[in-house]
Amino acid sequence: MISSSLLLSITTFTYLLCTILYLSGVVFRYKPLLASGTYVGLGAIVIQLSGMLLRWKESYQLGYGHAPLSNLYESLVFAAWAIMLIYLVLEFRSKQRVLGVFPALFSFLAMAYASFSTSVDSKIQPLVPALKSNWLIAHVIACFLGYAAFAVSSGISMLYLFQKSRSSNPHPKGALAILPESRQMDELNYQMILFGFLWLSLGIITGSVWANSAWGTYWSWDPKETWSLITWLVYAAVLHARTMQGWRGTRVAWLSLLGFVCVLFTYFGVNFLLSGLHSYAGR
Amino acid sequence: MAQKEGFWRSLYQGLASLKLTVFVFLTLAICSLVGTLLPQGLAPHEMEKQYSPGMLWFIEALGLNDLYRTGWFRLLLLLLCINLIVCTIERLPKTLKLLQRRDEHISPEKLLKFNYSREISTRMPWEEAMSRVNRVVSEGFAALEPLDNPAGFSALAEKGRWSPLMVYIVHLSVLVVLFGALMGSLFGFKGVMNISEGEASDEVLSYKGDKQIVLPFQVRCDKFDVSFYDTGAPKEYRSDLAIIEKGQEVHKQSIRVNDPLTYQGVTFYQASYGSTLKLADVELLDRNSGKSYKMTLPFRETRPIPGTRDQVQIMDYQQDLSRFGPAVAVMISKEGQQEPEGSWIVVNMPDFHGNRVGSYQIKVTRLEKSQYTGLQVKRDPGVWMVWLGFTAMVIGIGMTFYTSHRKIWIWAAPTDGSSKIIIAGRANKNPLAFEQEFNELCQQLQDDLKSSDAMDKKNKKRGK
Repeated sequence: MISSSLLLSITTFTYLLCTILYLSGVVFRYKPLLASGTYVGLGAIVIQLSGMLLRWKESYQLGYGHAPLSNLYESLVFAAWAIMLIYLVLEFRSKQRVLGVFPALFSFLAMAYASFSTSVDSKIQPLVPALKSNWLIAHVIACFLGYAAFAVSSGISMLYLFQKSRSSNPHPKGALAILPESRQMDELNYQMILFGFLWLSLGIITGSVWANSAWGTYWSWDPKETWSLITWLVYAAVLHARTMQGWRGTRVAWLSLLGFVCVLFTYFGVNFLLSGLHSYAGR
Repeated sequence: MAQKEGFWRSLYQGLASLKLTVFVFLTLAICSLVGTLLPQGLAPHEMEKQYSPGMLWFIEALGLNDLYRTGWFRLLLLLLCINLIVCTIERLPKTLKLLQRRDEHISPEKLLKFNYSREISTRMPWEEAMSRVNRVVSEGFAALEPLDNPAGFSALAEKGRWSPLMVYIVHLSVLVVLFGALMGSLFGFKGVMNISEGEASDEVLSYKGDKQIVLPFQVRCDKFDVSFYDTGAPKEYRSDLAIIEKGQEVHKQSIRVNDPLTYQGVTFYQASYGSTLKLADVELLDRNSGKSYKMTLPFRETRPIPGTRDQVQIMDYQQDLSRFGPAVAVMISKEGQQEPEGSWIVVNMPDFHGNRVGSYQIKVTRLEKSQYTGLQVKRDPGVWMVWLGFTAMVIGIGMTFYTSHRKIWIWAAPTDGSSKIIIAGRANKNPLAFEQEFNELCQQLQDDLKSSDAMDKKNKKRGK
């Protein structure tokens, strides 16, 4: 009998395979490897989507009946899926397969952490009263689409910085030769930041509207809220520096990495290091 | 005088500068970060426990224990607003002017210098070529508006003219949200009320300065209920509430977490619950007279001790007094005594010698408790502005990012036997997407003009 946990375990290894294919495609500069990375990635998100939908169904069989977006495990699974999905759309639009290394790696790491860490409970749990709201789905999806876009952006930024640190040579060799030209990477990076910023804004706003209907405060300076605002401010600064001050390339790439550190802290750091209203996301 | 003007000028420019924007963003981010690292809203005695005296002085001087409500943090938010407003005053007229400017005349030399431009020549008859250009651009991009060109034909097509204005909507939305929040904190209130089952109340304990707010109506709690999952986790907290106005029940509703009740602009949220003492059966033994009295005392109501002129009341109740279990605070006022006497009576230790007030030895034989529901109460006249701001912000951000002002120019002139066409384009944003759009349009144009070239040739051959 196929269970959601089996499908999600398969997904984890599919992401690992996908990462290996993309990475070896870059290292050996062999395009068919990159292309197979794409197909394996596509396979992974299909398997994973069926895994998530099955988990949703299983939660009804247990009598709890809620979308698989309610705790740390489920959010990690969704994050992995969103990263790969966003990346594949980007790949399809930009026709650049080389950028897949980091998104595939991030998806694999998220799934591996969700599956193998003892501190992450993968059991389907019932919803506590505070989470019983239609805002749950909207809020979690918006936040994690934002986080995922920022993850893809940070991957592009790392490749960009890698390229810049080596490319005094006008005829680059090795992995560099296969990377897209820097202007395009910068532009794609920016596109990802824009996309992420829009969804992060939506995530904060849906969270705020939800908090107002659950607790009567749309903003209470809870650590999770505050850190999402910090992240938002950092990316807002990036956007202003780029459009108004004409910052490009290296500086934007570094700022994007800083932004992603904030994303990671908002997601993990707040759960483990600070306490607050948002504690169910840490279990 | 000139110096003074110079000062105001540079202050204005400073307030309108992007450097200030980025500075405020990052300062707000760092200050918010500090606020998440230091516990907020600790009581004074907790503060003393946690910090050394020097640190305590520093934290209290800067208000770091309640950072987000300090004057200087609000000043930062105000600075952000001023920056936004001054930037808008500075830039909006320029943007509007730029949008209104129409180049009546355009030279082919200038067009060819654009980032996106292409020259196409066709041997199609002039009229035919122009009608095809018109059709391709109108269908593939936007309607062409003719410009002044005595030598031939020139025209301009535009898309997303309003796009550069969208960013002002985002900026305005930030102001609207902050203004809504200000309205809420000035003209609204937030507090809690605990209502025991079966009781009604109109008193709200406000968070601000612990003051009491009296509502113009009463809220009665008919029932409070908690249900649990098999796992022991809470499933639902529910209070059945009724609103009572001038003694009349005017509204009944059950509230849950995520499902509050709003009446006359005041919203009641399910926030907490607990139990409190309802009444207690006590035995009082007067050691002077040796007489014993059995009484039922409702919580916080004074009763006379029968046959005496003494008065007794249960003033307070604790679930667990210094780990001795439940205890009630009993106060007795004796006739002729100025000050009433009182003491904590430990319920589970009936023979404890400290269970006495004045000459009375007190035994509690039964406690009856009642559940109460804890409601968060809020009135926020600014919340609709916050929602309006949020909506505008999302729409504005989407429009700012995903629309751009794009222009396509066409310049064409007949030369001997053929027509020369220059197509050029410009976009204020998103160059890669525009490049693709421009190239596709050029390709379409070229194909259209060429295919008819080929047809012409075929026709000519047939004619021969």
